[in-house]
Amino acid sequence: MIKYLVKRLLLLLPTFIGISLITYAMIRLAPGDYTTLRAGLQGELKAGAIGTEIIEQEKKLYGLDKPVIVGYWDWFKRLVVLDFGVSRKDGRPVAERIAEALPITLSLNIISMIIVYIISIPGGIVSALKKDSLYDRVSSLVLFILYSLPSFWVGLLLLMVFSGGDYLNLFPLGGIISDWAEDFSFFDRMVNIAWHLALPVITLTYGGFAFLSRYTRATMLDVINQQYIMTARAKGLSEKRVVLVHAFRNSLVPLVTLMATILPGLLGGSVIVESIFSIPGMGMLAFEAILARDIPVIMAIASISAVLTLLGILIADILYGVVDPRIRLEARQ
Amino acid sequence: MTAARGYWRTAWREFRRNRLALAGLVLVLALFAVALFAPFIASDKPYIYAADGRLRFPILFDYPELEGMNFREGAVKGFVLMPPVPYTSSEYDLDAIVMPPSARHVLGTDEQGRDLAARMIHGTRVSILIGFIAVFIYVTMGVIIGALAGYYGGVVDMVISRFIEVIICFPTFFLILTILALVGPSLVNVMLVIGVTGWTGIARIVRGEFLKIREMEFVQASRALGARDRAVIFRHMLPNALAPVLVSATFGIASTILIESSLSFLGFGVQPPTPSWGDILSQSRDFMDFAWWLTLVPGFAIFITITAYNLVGEGFQDAIDPRSVRK
Repeated sequence: MIKYLVKRLLLLLPTFIGISLITYAMIRLAPGDYTTLRAGLQGELKAGAIGTEIIEQEKKLYGLDKPVIVGYWDWFKRLVVLDFGVSRKDGRPVAERIAEALPITLSLNIISMIIVYIISIPGGIVSALKKDSLYDRVSSLVLFILYSLPSFWVGLLLLMVFSGGDYLNLFPLGGIISDWAEDFSFFDRMVNIAWHLALPVITLTYGGFAFLSRYTRATMLDVINQQYIMTARAKGLSEKRVVLVHAFRNSLVPLVTLMATILPGLLGGSVIVESIFSIPGMGMLAFEAILARDIPVIMAIASISAVLTLLGILIADILYGVVDPRIRLEARQ
Repeated sequence: MTAARGYWRTAWREFRRNRLALAGLVLVLALFAVALFAPFIASDKPYIYAADGRLRFPILFDYPELEGMNFREGAVKGFVLMPPVPYTSSEYDLDAIVMPPSARHVLGTDEQGRDLAARMIHGTRVSILIGFIAVFIYVTMGVIIGALAGYYGGVVDMVISRFIEVIICFPTFFLILTILALVGPSLVNVMLVIGVTGWTGIARIVRGEFLKIREMEFVQASRALGARDRAVIFRHMLPNALAPVLVSATFGIASTILIESSLSFLGFGVQPPTPSWGDILSQSRDFMDFAWWLTLVPGFAIFITITAYNLVGEGFQDAIDPRSVRK
């Protein structure tokens, strides 16, 4: 087991290098010289020597005067000691900005993921067991609709209806905590945060909820028609035992791999939700960095999300072996 | 004895039985029609203008003497037959900004007093165009790359599979945003970037199918007859691997339309004044507290379009999946 883990972790390295190298090369090689652009934007681009000097200084500072591969190597060497460099926007260390943003986005996504799994797995199972019943048909239709609803629209509608304006004024317009909540007790602060996060969590949740429920239903239907389920019933096992022990365990396999496919999409989803609800998380940070062409921040975010994705795939592979003992880890490469 | 039916005809028969999928298909075709005929559905020029004993068709031909005339609401004498939405997508009216739906503007107006219905109709073109071209780009790439991996196997397969694994780990939406920020957002760039980043799914499907088909007799037969690799891959094997690719492409159009509108929503899509649904929705944020129509209408259009493609995709999937054949 440990041997397998070490081997897998070592295999992550080339993939990670591939991802970060491609990202770096793309930013460097893309048309449009961002240093000039930035200097020009700030009105620093004066004619003659001074303007050129500023550009040269900037380029040197961010390693843009070197060839792509050398620049990448410099970046990578600093990454090994977890030095992500400084943000071009405000000169603060990138690591510091990410340390602020990452927990917010992670907790948002973990909360919504837990809700998704708690609701949709039982819902999907019941749907599959009562296939073609009224419940199944109605829930299938509702889930299909939820599945096709664009999240940015849902987010806007929720804001429009529930956050002030001409309609209801139940939730705040954005942010994660009220200004005045600084000296609240711990419990009151939590309540305040929950109040802020209610709408964003709904926006993040409903899509995954629809996806996972449909998925659970489909895999459960596959399993329930297998012969070993008939055998279990023929043995005289209770329906509860047949469903929960024999059928459900076997439908877990695809549900586990799903985690690995959901992870890479998290950052993209966060960009939209966080921009709608003004949440200072990774999505917002990423979006601002992209607008400002802040290379150190973009690279850092790309690396972190690549690492999270790779770990997600690894964990899914390990869980695969846990839920289905037939799959031997060593054999799967 | 009935004659053997072809694969695609059987699939179509199955598809037709699924009412929801058929409704989706009708909707998709209707959207096509709207996109194609947008300038004839929303325009400030009448279809027919009969005055001074002459019959004119201003929407089809240019008449110098009619330049700049307003044909709406009986402003001119004679017989006028206007299109259903008598405004263009760029025509603004600063006296009527952010107006709720009314008889004059059926879906209301935006912050520049432009007719929302006209903008929605013209915006259909962007969604349809980007959906189709981006998916065409990535299906082509995916088919070629996947076919190479599946057909040749060995080292080629290993290199391509590793490469696909790397690409899958990219945060796609973030990547698309970054590239667009660097090369500048425009209709062509959006299509290219979505196209170039989206091919991995198709490549994996084609690779899998090719690995299966490769061992079949007809492939060996065509090789034995001296067919070149290119002919074996594209003429003999590809048609047999196409069905799952087309299903995936149908869902792909839905997700491409979603990505495009998300990009426009963040300001990285098609640039104004070209109307796009995501952009209209994005503009609505400034008036969200009262202008419900500006939020409701474009979002609903995006939602319906995505639903339609997803319905067609599902119907298609059921139709070609032998396991789900209904008795």
